[in-house]
Amino acid sequence: MRTLLALALLPLPAMAGTPEVVNDHILPATDRFATAAHALADAAGADCSASALDAPYRQAFDAWMGLSHLAFGPLEQDGRALTVAFWPDPRGLVARSVRGLVADQDPVVDDPAGFAEVSIAGRGLMALEQLMADEVGDYECRYARAIATDLATIADAVQADWQDHAQLMLDAGQDGNDRYLSAREADQAIYTALLSGIEFDADQRLGRPMGSFDKPRPKLAEAWRSDRPLRNIELSLAALRDMAVALSDDPIPLTEAAFDNAQAQVAELQDDPRLEGVTDPTQRLKIEILQQRIRAIGTAIEGEIGGGLGLTAGFNSKDGD
Amino acid sequence: MKTTLAISALALATASPALAGKPEVVANYIAIAHAGYEDSLIAARDLQAAVDALIETPSAEALQDARAAWLAARVPYQQTEALRFGNAIVDDWEGKVNAWPLDEGLIDYVDPSYGGASDANEYAALNVVAAPTFTLSGEDIDATEITPDLLSGQLHEADAIEANVATGYHAIEFLLWGQDLNGTDHGAGDRPWTDYAAGDDCAGGNCDRRGDYLKAATDLLVSDLEWMTAQWAEGGEAATGLTADPDAAISAMLTGMGSLSYGELAGERMKLGVMLNDPEEEHDCFSDNTHNSHYYDGLGIRNVYLGEYTRIDGTVVSGESLSSLVAEADASVDQSLRAGLDDSVAKLGRIKTVAEGGTSYDQMLARGNDAGEGLIMAAVDALVAQTQDIERAVTLLGAQDVAIEGSDSLDSPDAVFQ
Repeated sequence: MRTLLALALLPLPAMAGTPEVVNDHILPATDRFATAAHALADAAGADCSASALDAPYRQAFDAWMGLSHLAFGPLEQDGRALTVAFWPDPRGLVARSVRGLVADQDPVVDDPAGFAEVSIAGRGLMALEQLMADEVGDYECRYARAIATDLATIADAVQADWQDHAQLMLDAGQDGNDRYLSAREADQAIYTALLSGIEFDADQRLGRPMGSFDKPRPKLAEAWRSDRPLRNIELSLAALRDMAVALSDDPIPLTEAAFDNAQAQVAELQDDPRLEGVTDPTQRLKIEILQQRIRAIGTAIEGEIGGGLGLTAGFNSKDGD
Repeated sequence: MKTTLAISALALATASPALAGKPEVVANYIAIAHAGYEDSLIAARDLQAAVDALIETPSAEALQDARAAWLAARVPYQQTEALRFGNAIVDDWEGKVNAWPLDEGLIDYVDPSYGGASDANEYAALNVVAAPTFTLSGEDIDATEITPDLLSGQLHEADAIEANVATGYHAIEFLLWGQDLNGTDHGAGDRPWTDYAAGDDCAGGNCDRRGDYLKAATDLLVSDLEWMTAQWAEGGEAATGLTADPDAAISAMLTGMGSLSYGELAGERMKLGVMLNDPEEEHDCFSDNTHNSHYYDGLGIRNVYLGEYTRIDGTVVSGESLSSLVAEADASVDQSLRAGLDDSVAKLGRIKTVAEGGTSYDQMLARGNDAGEGLIMAAVDALVAQTQDIERAVTLLGAQDVAIEGSDSLDSPDAVFQ
């Protein structure tokens, strides 16, 4: 009797909101991306000029930022995340691949199955951005269509596969589920994606253009040709915040305050969408502050969500040199 | 009486594996690490002797001997890569000896198809072998004498660009093989031995300076490996630090296994190359030795888990293993992880077999080569699968902060994807 009582009085560990993350965050994001990718493909089918593609390209990229942080499962499979947006690209492979196909007038753009075999540097949103920045002729038009169609195909596959993967996460620990042997493993996958996403925003999306003080590298910013470096960070933070709130069943005031701080700093930088200010000492300081504030979100998440749920980050697909 | 006997028998049966504690496992890990770096050093000294012979008496045979010594030197070194991500002392040092990929035009002449200086790297075609003096990031450099200090102090990662690799195995590889101009067709680099010939026989120009560069880079590799071997010897910094904190050491072991399996080998070195169809994404691209470099990486990961390493002279270093610790906590996770490691080594072994049979790794990367892609992706899938069991081992052993510490991507943003 005494034992039972003691057990009953033990505080229950906080529950993780994996079902909420899956149903309210992930699945709607895959739907939005599929819709936007199809709109882009339809637009390219009707008129493949850069001016006609501009708006649907932006909307597709916006939608992509709603799920780009989900580095495990369906987006990891077949390298889909990197195929949708091949970045970072320090060796300039996107420009080289796009110009290579154009120079060769490679007929692979007229064959969807063949195009799916092309180097990922020549596919996806980054290749389309490069193509739209260059001169447009008949070949470029067909190429743009091929990219848009390919993106819609990938988006459909991601949407369908996430339906299955969602079930795996919700059925974690049940017999026959080899992927998630316990609910904790599903929680950990989401938690790892959350922390990795924060790290990616700070170290890559900001760190790459920042370079060093003596050698800033604004041209290494993500999608700078379409003025997206700051916007991608803004949208990524919004998506990560949404996921963090869904993951924790308890209130997360410290984490939310850290997001508030970083998002306020994003607002301070709205006049520099390309983050070209990395070359200017005063403006650079504002960007460094943003980087610090994004890193502070990671610290808050580790303490409040990781500590609360008893989770530590797993291995990160972006580990390595 | 019978009961007592049964109990003591049971006690014996359970007690003996239970004796393997974390300190013993860590001690064995340190012994394996020391043996691995010492083997790498021994093999690098053999390479040094072969390079000296090539420079002293250039010939086709001498170049061939030096290439063979380089290939042999990769066998123990690649097995040590499983130590890297868990140990900051290794990770901070690693860029000096195994940085990759490189803009090789920094070092020596290249084919016109290579292009010249690029937006990303204005020194991509500097060609130090041909340039006794030049300007680097606004500083006048006197390279009339090519010394280890010039390479490590001024050229390596010049202009803060990681592709400016001036030292280590891959710089030496380029000087021994030259560029692989076969794309995704068969064939490695084909540098003529006359690139090291004296006087009028000198083919590529500046043969003396090329020899000086090769000598300096090889001497530097030897001294770097001497340093790292000492860190793992008794009283060395790596050995002392891990011995003092067995829990952190267990975490370092698992971090090294998981980060090499997943982000580095499966991701960056293998999957990315397939998805880019790019032969420059080959780890040992000049020599077409990539199948071996991947295979010995995989073997090194398994070595750490099984607590066993076969030295280049055939002796075996073995002792208490991570496997025994995990088995004590959960036999099914241990069984699954051991099966996973065997599977990845076998799948990497298939790539090695096919490459040795005449289909080189760069051919497997060609667009539309489904069989080659299948071989590589099978190994990638095995590496990713074993990472899940490594994570389970982390949870079982209560190791903390795995994958957060020791990842180059955290403190050096430019490092990722270089």
